[in-house]
Amino acid sequence: MYKFIWLVPLLPLAGAAINGIFGRWLRFPEKLVGGIAVGTVALSFLISVAAIYSYGFGGNGLWPNPYVSTQTAFTWIPGGAVKQTLGQAAPGSGEAKTISIANQPVTVPAARSSLLNIEWSYQLDPLSAIFMLIVNGVGLCIFVFATGYMHDDPGFYRFFAYMGLFMFSMLVLVMGSNFVMMFVGWEGVGLCSYLLIGYYFNRNEAANASRKAFITNRIGDFGFILAIFGIIATFGTAQYTQVMPQAASYPIEMLGNWGLMSWIALGLMIGACGKSAQFPLHVWLPDAMAGPTPVSALIHAATMVTAGLYMLTRTNVIFQHSQTMMLVVAVIGAFTAIFAATIGITQNDIKKVLAYSTVSQLGFMFLACGVGAFVIGIFHVMTHAFFKALMFLGAGSVIHGMHHEQDMRRMGGLRKYMPYTYFAFMAGWLAICGIIPFSGFWSKDEILWRTASTNHIPVGWLLWIVGTIAATCTAFYMTRLMAMTFWGKYRGDDGKEARGDDHTRGKHEHHPHVPHESPKSMWVPLVVLAILATVGGFVGISTAFTGGKEVGGKLNIVTWLSPVIWNPSTKAFGAEPGEAPAETPAQTIRAGAPINIERQAEGGLPYGDTGFNLAHAVEAKLGSETATEWVFIVISLIVAGIGIGLGLLFYVKDTRLADVWAARLAPLYRASYHKYWIDEFYGWAVTRRTMDLARGVFNFDAKVVDGGVNGAAWLTRLSSKITGGTDKYFVDGLVNAIADFVVRLMSPIVRAAQTGLTANYALVMVIGLLLAVAYYLVKMF
Amino acid sequence: MTQLSPLCLLLLQETSGGRIAHAIEGVKHPDLSKFLVIAAILFIIGVAGVLTRRNLLVIFMSIELILNAANLNFIAFSRYLQDTGTGNPMAGQIFTVFIIVVAAAEAAVGLGIVIALYRNRETIWIDEIDLMKW
Amino acid sequence: MILSGWETVFFWFFSIAAILAGLLTVMARNAVHSALFLISSLVSVGALFILLGAEFIAGVQILVYVGGVMVLFLFVIMLVNVGAEEEGRAPIFNRPAQVAAALIFSLLLVVALLAAINKGYVGLRDRDAAALKQTETTRSEQESKMQTGATGVSRITTQTESVGMSLFTNASLPFEIASLLLLVAIVGSVMLARTLKQEAAADDVDSEVLGQAPPAETGTDNI
Repeated sequence: MYKFIWLVPLLPLAGAAINGIFGRWLRFPEKLVGGIAVGTVALSFLISVAAIYSYGFGGNGLWPNPYVSTQTAFTWIPGGAVKQTLGQAAPGSGEAKTISIANQPVTVPAARSSLLNIEWSYQLDPLSAIFMLIVNGVGLCIFVFATGYMHDDPGFYRFFAYMGLFMFSMLVLVMGSNFVMMFVGWEGVGLCSYLLIGYYFNRNEAANASRKAFITNRIGDFGFILAIFGIIATFGTAQYTQVMPQAASYPIEMLGNWGLMSWIALGLMIGACGKSAQFPLHVWLPDAMAGPTPVSALIHAATMVTAGLYMLTRTNVIFQHSQTMMLVVAVIGAFTAIFAATIGITQNDIKKVLAYSTVSQLGFMFLACGVGAFVIGIFHVMTHAFFKALMFLGAGSVIHGMHHEQDMRRMGGLRKYMPYTYFAFMAGWLAICGIIPFSGFWSKDEILWRTASTNHIPVGWLLWIVGTIAATCTAFYMTRLMAMTFWGKYRGDDGKEARGDDHTRGKHEHHPHVPHESPKSMWVPLVVLAILATVGGFVGISTAFTGGKEVGGKLNIVTWLSPVIWNPSTKAFGAEPGEAPAETPAQTIRAGAPINIERQAEGGLPYGDTGFNLAHAVEAKLGSETATEWVFIVISLIVAGIGIGLGLLFYVKDTRLADVWAARLAPLYRASYHKYWIDEFYGWAVTRRTMDLARGVFNFDAKVVDGGVNGAAWLTRLSSKITGGTDKYFVDGLVNAIADFVVRLMSPIVRAAQTGLTANYALVMVIGLLLAVAYYLVKMF
Repeated sequence: MTQLSPLCLLLLQETSGGRIAHAIEGVKHPDLSKFLVIAAILFIIGVAGVLTRRNLLVIFMSIELILNAANLNFIAFSRYLQDTGTGNPMAGQIFTVFIIVVAAAEAAVGLGIVIALYRNRETIWIDEIDLMKW
Repeated sequence: MILSGWETVFFWFFSIAAILAGLLTVMARNAVHSALFLISSLVSVGALFILLGAEFIAGVQILVYVGGVMVLFLFVIMLVNVGAEEEGRAPIFNRPAQVAAALIFSLLLVVALLAAINKGYVGLRDRDAAALKQTETTRSEQESKMQTGATGVSRITTQTESVGMSLFTNASLPFEIASLLLLVAIVGSVMLARTLKQEAAADDVDSEVLGQAPPAETGTDNI
């Protein structure tokens, strides 16, 4: 079945093509457009489920080996022989080696040169499988939701054409078997993001936001493409299955050592920052909320922004070879997490809150990758896709029900108007706050635990504190959002409703601005996602609950993903040889803790001493690893409780308290409300300086270049005047005189022939006929 | 024509050395050339009509005459080909059908033009319609 | 195809009739008379067609020309009423110089044509003499084999059948094109013959164009 995975990206593309090309031309009705879009995505989802089932669980499934499609593969960019210009020869590759290009073995003469042929083929392995399920599954829910949300929009077909194109690009991104294909998908999703943010292109802010997103992404893409060049120049190929083993054989670059792997990782990290909206390049994501809400849910929360995480995890070998870059990833992640969370506290636009929440959660994922817990990062990608898509769709439902009102200050009390939306949103709220047993709890708790117990980088304890505060903030602003939107009293209608006036209440039913529950096509996906957000976390259940063992076999995400993750302790991919597959590499890393002296002696501590380690300190006190994990679980539950409690206190119990404290912490409040003036700073530092440069260049052009050109033009004019004079008075005079003479001589004769009488012209025809017959007679006699 | 006196015929044959007899034979048994001559005469009558008449409608009728002369030629040659058994004997008749079709179309459009012209200029005398010299 | 017997009589009768009617067509003062003479001429030529064995074409000639085209002519003559010409107040021919030139050239042309026919036909006859002679002998034999009509006197020829066969095998594409031509002619003549009022009612003419048009609504427009 996995031989059909090439259909998975092509089906949404086909749907997009049909909708995009014929939708307007043949005036497809909404039902047909929606049917084509949802149908192709649903079919694609079914194929990917079947393919992944037969890949991982079928009779002769290939797991844990990656499957690269060969039936439909073709050489996309034939490159011929290239010289590898970077890096040293991988050990054991000094002599001729045989590599496979376009399914044919090719012998490459020496290690330092190889044949570069970029293939177009799809790779199915544990990592892409998870992303296929997320993209297709969550995408399907959002497509169904969008058919309701976009109802009666004049650009219905256009919307679904873009969405289908996005699905295609995203699936190429996660299913491509090499970095160049990933880049194609990377640019494709960037393009679709641009198109969809600017979907309401007649609104200025949407058009500006789309440009901002595109340009900011370009900065990241620049880093990414440099990294791809670096990879090709170093390894001589872009195919994952060939790059990863080679990369694994390079030595680890410790903190302060800056080598080839660090350079490549830096480029990749810049790309990931751009796409996943990490700190310096995060500015586009909140503005991207100008697009339709399903777009925000699909692209800017669930799938596209996690492409950076996919890339980080895909290249975890390279990152794990550079301790410096791991630290950079972790620090940027932790900083972004708290930075965005504090901004989220003060925003009033419901989608802006969710956008900053997304940035913050992406920071958590980067933190997970930075501390070496790539699997947990992907786990959080998955749970986040569930609950954030759910919350965005819930917000969409609220906005739809509120007749396109996005300001939370004008909402409130929507619980009784929109019960389905409310309960679904409730599940998302509990999940993101990290309340057991909702999905967010499992992933976020695991991230914090891995941060505290990391052996990859120093200052894990500091990052843990930052992450914990960010989690508190998350719980706080999410409670605020719930309280302002769903609880309390309805604050729309300029307070008329709040007064409870009998007259108003009588007309209540017919008032156009009364919120209403969304149609079935909108709340059914919400319910599906709510269920996933509730139970989805059990695929990564914490080992503290299961007696220190990973359970569930391949259904456990840690076990499932382990073949993709390089293990620095054993210097190999996946589980250690000799151990049961259920053993996780994560455990192996943890087994390298200082108390396991014997493991350390075996070289189980690849990154050397990383200084104070919070988890190990606690473990030394308690003497048991499980007990230590329980301590951290309790701490994360407590901080979630604190956040929720503060939120309830400020926005439910005594709503005046919020204003009081905002005034009391005025400088901080203003800083947060204005997003720390990052946009203003960029406007001053980048946009203004670019404008200055442009103006300078313009002035140079106007004064110097144009001066030269105009001088040349003046000279040309002068010379042309001279020749023109000659021409006019001398040559023309002669020509006119001759022409005049000829005309005067000939015109009476010619004019006489033009009588204007048809009969005369017919006579000329007859004469012509006579001449023809005469010619015939002369020839005959 | 069989009633003509054989004596008279013989006499004519004797006196003119066969020329008159030959001519009479041609009159008695007209062949292809007679049809061609008739067609040519009709044609030239049509041409003369086109060239001399002032009335636009009569000119049109003269054109029909010309077309008919051509038709007669075609049919005559068609018959000739039938008799000699060479070529496609039906081609002439097919051509005639198409000429009639074209003539009908031409008459429709031409008469439409005449009406339009008459409406605008209030004349159908072509010597008053001499704007072509501009 | 040498005619004989009554065929000869008919040939001369109809050919002289055709020529005379043609001459009168050209020379008649009244356009209606012209049209009637043209009809006689066409009928006579149709009779010649029958003599040549082209019964179908003869039928078409009578139906289309006489029944269709000439009726159209008569209608138009009635529409464009030219009284002055009829009453002899206006000359029916062009200026004498033009007429003289036209007649001279026409005469030259007819002489040239007759000379060409004479010269060309001699060669043709000599070439095909044998074949013609053979046809002459077998002709009556072939005709006797044909089916007789209902009266038992006339014979049913296969000419029309072979015209149809030939038309739809060798000339089917021109046939279709001819239908298109007729359609275009219909549409074109309808367009040409509309009055200004009808054009305004059709609503596809700019009011500016109508406004600039000469005030033709004075009596002639109500045709």
